[in-house]
Amino acid sequence: MTAKAISSAATSQKRSSFLTQLANPRVYCALLALSLILIVPAVIDSPFVVHVFVTICVFAALSTAWNIVGGYAGQLSLGHTVFYGIGGYTTALLIQHFGISPWLGMWAGAALSALVGIGIGYPCFRLRGPFFSLATIAFLEVVRLLSIHFTGVTGGAAGLIVPLNLGWAWMIFEDKFNYLYIAFGLLLLTLIVSWAIRNSRLGFYLTAVREREDAALAAGVNNTNVKLKAVMISAALTSLVGSFHAMYMTFLEPATMFSLATSIEIAMFSLIGGLGTVVGPLLGTVLVVPIAELARGWLGASANGLHGFVYGTVLVIITLTLPGGLVGTFGNRVGGWIDRLPGGGRRDDGREAPAQRPITGEPVKPILEAKNLVMKFGGLTATDNVSVTLLRGEILGIIGPNGAGKTTLFSQISGFLQPTSGTVGIVGPDGSMTSPTSADEFARLGVGRTFQIVQPFGKLTVLENIMVGAFMRHPKVDDARAAALRVARLVGLDDIKDVEARNLPIGGLKRLEVARTLATEPSILLLDEVMAGQSQSDTQKMVNLVRTIRDTGVTVIAIEHNMQAIMSLSDRIVVIDSGRVIAQGNPQEVVKDRRVIEAYLGEDFVDAQGI
Amino acid sequence: MDVLVQLILNGILLGSMYAIISVGLTLIFGIVRVVNFAHGEFLMVGMYAVYLLGTHLGLNPYVSIVPVVILLFVLGALVQRFIIQPLLGADEHIQIFATVGLSTALVNLALLVFGADLYSLTVPSARQAISVGGNTMLVGQIVMFICAVVLVAGLHFFMQTTALGRAIRATAQNRNAALLMGVRVDRVYVFTFGLGAACVGLASALLIPLYPVTPTIGTYFVLTAFVVVVLGGMRSIYGAFAGAMIIGIVDSLSGYYIAPDLKEVVYFAIFILILIFKPTGLFGFGRGTE
Amino acid sequence: MRLFVKVALATGLALGASQASAQQAVKVGALYPFSGGLALLGDESFRGLEIAVEERNAAGGLNGKKIELVRGDAVDPNQAVGEARRLTSVEKVSAIFGTYSSSLAIAATQVAQLAGVPYFELGAISDPITERGLKYVFRTNPTSKDFANRMVDSVVEAVAPALNLDPKTLKIGIIHEDSLYGQTVSAFQQTRAKEKGLNLVETLPYSAKSVDLTPVILRLKSAGVDVVLQTSYQNDTVLFFRQMKDQGFKPKAVIGAGGGYSTRDTAQAVGNENIEGALNVDFPQYRTNPQAAPGIDEFVKKYQAKYGIAPRSGHSLTNYMGANVFLDAMAASKDLKADTIRESLLKVDVPLGKTATGWGVKFDEKGQNTRVSPFLMQWQGGELVTVFPPEAAVAKLKTGVGSN
Repeated sequence: MTAKAISSAATSQKRSSFLTQLANPRVYCALLALSLILIVPAVIDSPFVVHVFVTICVFAALSTAWNIVGGYAGQLSLGHTVFYGIGGYTTALLIQHFGISPWLGMWAGAALSALVGIGIGYPCFRLRGPFFSLATIAFLEVVRLLSIHFTGVTGGAAGLIVPLNLGWAWMIFEDKFNYLYIAFGLLLLTLIVSWAIRNSRLGFYLTAVREREDAALAAGVNNTNVKLKAVMISAALTSLVGSFHAMYMTFLEPATMFSLATSIEIAMFSLIGGLGTVVGPLLGTVLVVPIAELARGWLGASANGLHGFVYGTVLVIITLTLPGGLVGTFGNRVGGWIDRLPGGGRRDDGREAPAQRPITGEPVKPILEAKNLVMKFGGLTATDNVSVTLLRGEILGIIGPNGAGKTTLFSQISGFLQPTSGTVGIVGPDGSMTSPTSADEFARLGVGRTFQIVQPFGKLTVLENIMVGAFMRHPKVDDARAAALRVARLVGLDDIKDVEARNLPIGGLKRLEVARTLATEPSILLLDEVMAGQSQSDTQKMVNLVRTIRDTGVTVIAIEHNMQAIMSLSDRIVVIDSGRVIAQGNPQEVVKDRRVIEAYLGEDFVDAQGI
Repeated sequence: MDVLVQLILNGILLGSMYAIISVGLTLIFGIVRVVNFAHGEFLMVGMYAVYLLGTHLGLNPYVSIVPVVILLFVLGALVQRFIIQPLLGADEHIQIFATVGLSTALVNLALLVFGADLYSLTVPSARQAISVGGNTMLVGQIVMFICAVVLVAGLHFFMQTTALGRAIRATAQNRNAALLMGVRVDRVYVFTFGLGAACVGLASALLIPLYPVTPTIGTYFVLTAFVVVVLGGMRSIYGAFAGAMIIGIVDSLSGYYIAPDLKEVVYFAIFILILIFKPTGLFGFGRGTE
Repeated sequence: MRLFVKVALATGLALGASQASAQQAVKVGALYPFSGGLALLGDESFRGLEIAVEERNAAGGLNGKKIELVRGDAVDPNQAVGEARRLTSVEKVSAIFGTYSSSLAIAATQVAQLAGVPYFELGAISDPITERGLKYVFRTNPTSKDFANRMVDSVVEAVAPALNLDPKTLKIGIIHEDSLYGQTVSAFQQTRAKEKGLNLVETLPYSAKSVDLTPVILRLKSAGVDVVLQTSYQNDTVLFFRQMKDQGFKPKAVIGAGGGYSTRDTAQAVGNENIEGALNVDFPQYRTNPQAAPGIDEFVKKYQAKYGIAPRSGHSLTNYMGANVFLDAMAASKDLKADTIRESLLKVDVPLGKTATGWGVKFDEKGQNTRVSPFLMQWQGGELVTVFPPEAAVAKLKTGVGSN
């Protein structure tokens, strides 16, 4: 998907709810503030002021575009000027060799940047934290050095000079205000795209992937895919800005176009403004660019290096005092003030929840077949030739001592672990048996799992956590929200739906785990010790909940240590010990099985009791 | 053939310089888990210190090792205590930018104090060339090689036999477990950061006879040092040593046989490939092995 | 916010400096890198302009009007664009003088041209500055092509005769740092060497941030290079000389293209005995025959009186000379419109050897001074002395490099 497609999708989405959006003070305040970028220079009427504002627009747009990868997806790219430079060079070279207008050339640059973005992102996204940053720096250095070396293509270090053809067709003007229109337009474009992503499924998915990769997978999110989308959009936008800036400077050289210092700077603007927020990068730029210029203007003349020293020191102080950035530190307070303006506050639109995904299929037929699963970790065999068949509509309990291999079995039948040998087959919606290969594919086929160690998206609210699951079946935000609300009511989380997940107690987190999974509308639900840590009454509620879920046609497998609960709940029990199935059958039979008692209580106990 | 021998020899000597710088970075990166972009600036600070000691007190750079190592240890410990430690709980993005800010501030401070001019200390003994079978080496380079080997061996001995060394290794393997075992992790970090910076202090005394010092001298080395650290498997001192040797030799050979302006491309390409295909480092020393 | 500062500064200056003659002042811009990595030589260049303007003001100004210098500080092309905008619009200067750095000059001249304000380049050497057909851009100093040609020609006209060898038998090696400066100069060197039929055996670019030039030196050594042409900054010059000695590489001559070859720091870091005999092509330095460069000694005296130290490099002199040419032309035109100034500049005709740099002045249609070329100098006994052309020379060319 190109940035153009995204942005047009974004605008059409915007149009539908445009008027209602305008009445929101957050929207009209933002638009008013933004319009100052045009009004102030128009009033002062000086080409130099126009230049300062063009610079602010350019860096704010670059930073906003960076934030899609660096903030939303949490991938700290420090080589983002690769895309800026590619945009500039593509546009300039197309003018030089083919006489193609920059208005066309910039899209060619954007497309190329998106491709390069995939080329860099695909291998690098598996890298964690600082390693990803270092890899992006390495890519930037390689591109810069190559662009210097191949003088025939890029003009080398001597640079490229854009011919001074005046007029809109060539994006070079005598009236400097035209530059500001374009720069402002680009800033607006990146802000709208950034805002649209933040408020779309992609935005939620990116946050989910950033916070917890496993939980995102379980919610059917293809982690690599969403990150690649983010990097493509970000690269394309960065590239557009680069194209414009090259036309603005009318001169390109590798040192400026592929500058590591600029890469770090645009990331820093986001960080100072507020990472992962829509307005943060813009705020950071508006704050820092004038400070940097001020330092240069005041201190630059008095002593060489003084302004850089002050700038660096201020930077350290800002990171120490405002680690959440401007938005993270002041955002809620200011947001609260704005919401008090006319039309403010959150509106509950009372939208009806969309229809649930229908579950079809004949009861008591196999819906999941795990055959001869062997899972070896080094020398340890966690599951040894385990075969389990799940019948549609039943509740299957899995019990066994700690370390028996229950969770390992779960991970294999939900795609989180690839068995060393053996197969897992799932009956899909069309009734045929398939064997998916990745966890998110399992999830989309209808296998929903919870995690024994809860995996909440800490910085999202309870409702938003559930929405991440709901997006799988309902791509639209409003639908997903309505569906998530329905699940929240069912699970009993609706009274705390706006609390951030990291503030919940363990019982609430366990229920949130179930709710997020339920929101994916699974046909098979895998519950991993969801009763642990719950009070007596909560356990009873959970038992009732699981029954209600089963009654909607969902097949349930539950791992549980709470014997009383699991025995009363399950239609069938499978007992696992040391990676092997040692017994299965209905609950009454299983508790009498000698091997089961041995496994739980030890051989001595069995002998002593004379069973 | 003669050229090849000379190039490899040169690469090894270059590698020992990278090794001393990278071992310090490995300690900081592998144990405190902070990407220290100001590492090169520590080197710059050290070199100015050696220069000042040399011109004002007439100290030989090899004598200056002692005060400069102590100075850099204190600098590193202070940076950890007052800049990194308050940010340990924060996003790792923030730590990176704190070190970037520190780096900017230090470079410009040097520019402010010393100007953009280059300062050099003439050390005739270190610049003496020794010829072995037609291949030349400088005394200063040989000293560097010996120091690199001694440093790695010394750190090995320290890590294996002292209580503090064991605490550092425990912290590196599992911070929380170390906490539970009663290791004062914060202090371990302060000490480790100081130790990493002290290695750079050693490097700066050894570099002065070979390179003039300017405010931006650190940027010449810092990216290469990161390449070496990743190549060596992030946490392994031996890995860093071996990685440094490889980069030194690659640097030397590709500068001759490919093109001098593409040698960085060659080792950055190696760096990217290693990161992607063998993230535990070239020798699998990474991940918990020390 | 920066605007307010600048306006405040500018108005402050204007109030202080020219209360009486506020109406009569002619404003000209001075666009240089005053901060950042290029600050040292940017500032040195500015001093030449400053002295020329003060001299002119002391003599009654420009046709009775005081000249007022407005400084603009730029570190990268984006800032150069901004400062050029500010000077042409906020300050409404009649002309801009600059720039020392070529990439800043290229960016700023594009702006000045569109604003219809003359741009006088006094120090940047990149050829495209005057090759784009910009009507109001003029340059007094030689270009990188002039540097390259002088370096290659020196091999034929000065080095080979001193060695008593046929220049075609000499093996030439070109090495250069790979930023704008090194790349442009070396490209012209290659063309010129081909024209002159010289035997060019190696062309090796390297990064100015290299910490090891041994591979470069070994390549030169194995190719048996006799004459090295190097285009370099300070650090890499120092490294080259040191490692050349370490590796026992003894070319017959080494010629630098200004940059790192011209500063005293380099000589000190390398050691006078090691840089002895190294040749250097650059703007005229101060050890030039005053017969060929009238006014050079007076300039040095004025510089010392004003700044209390000897000039730090030849940049101030070159800027001083260029500024005088342009100020003369401005004085000679009946108004300060760009087209009028252009007309009077095209009429300027100063023969060689009549300016403080020893150059003449004659602008071509593109605005480039054609009577100009850098001089060949040599490090002798810790001093950089002019050895070629003979009329400017103060010493005889010696052969050999270093003590070995």
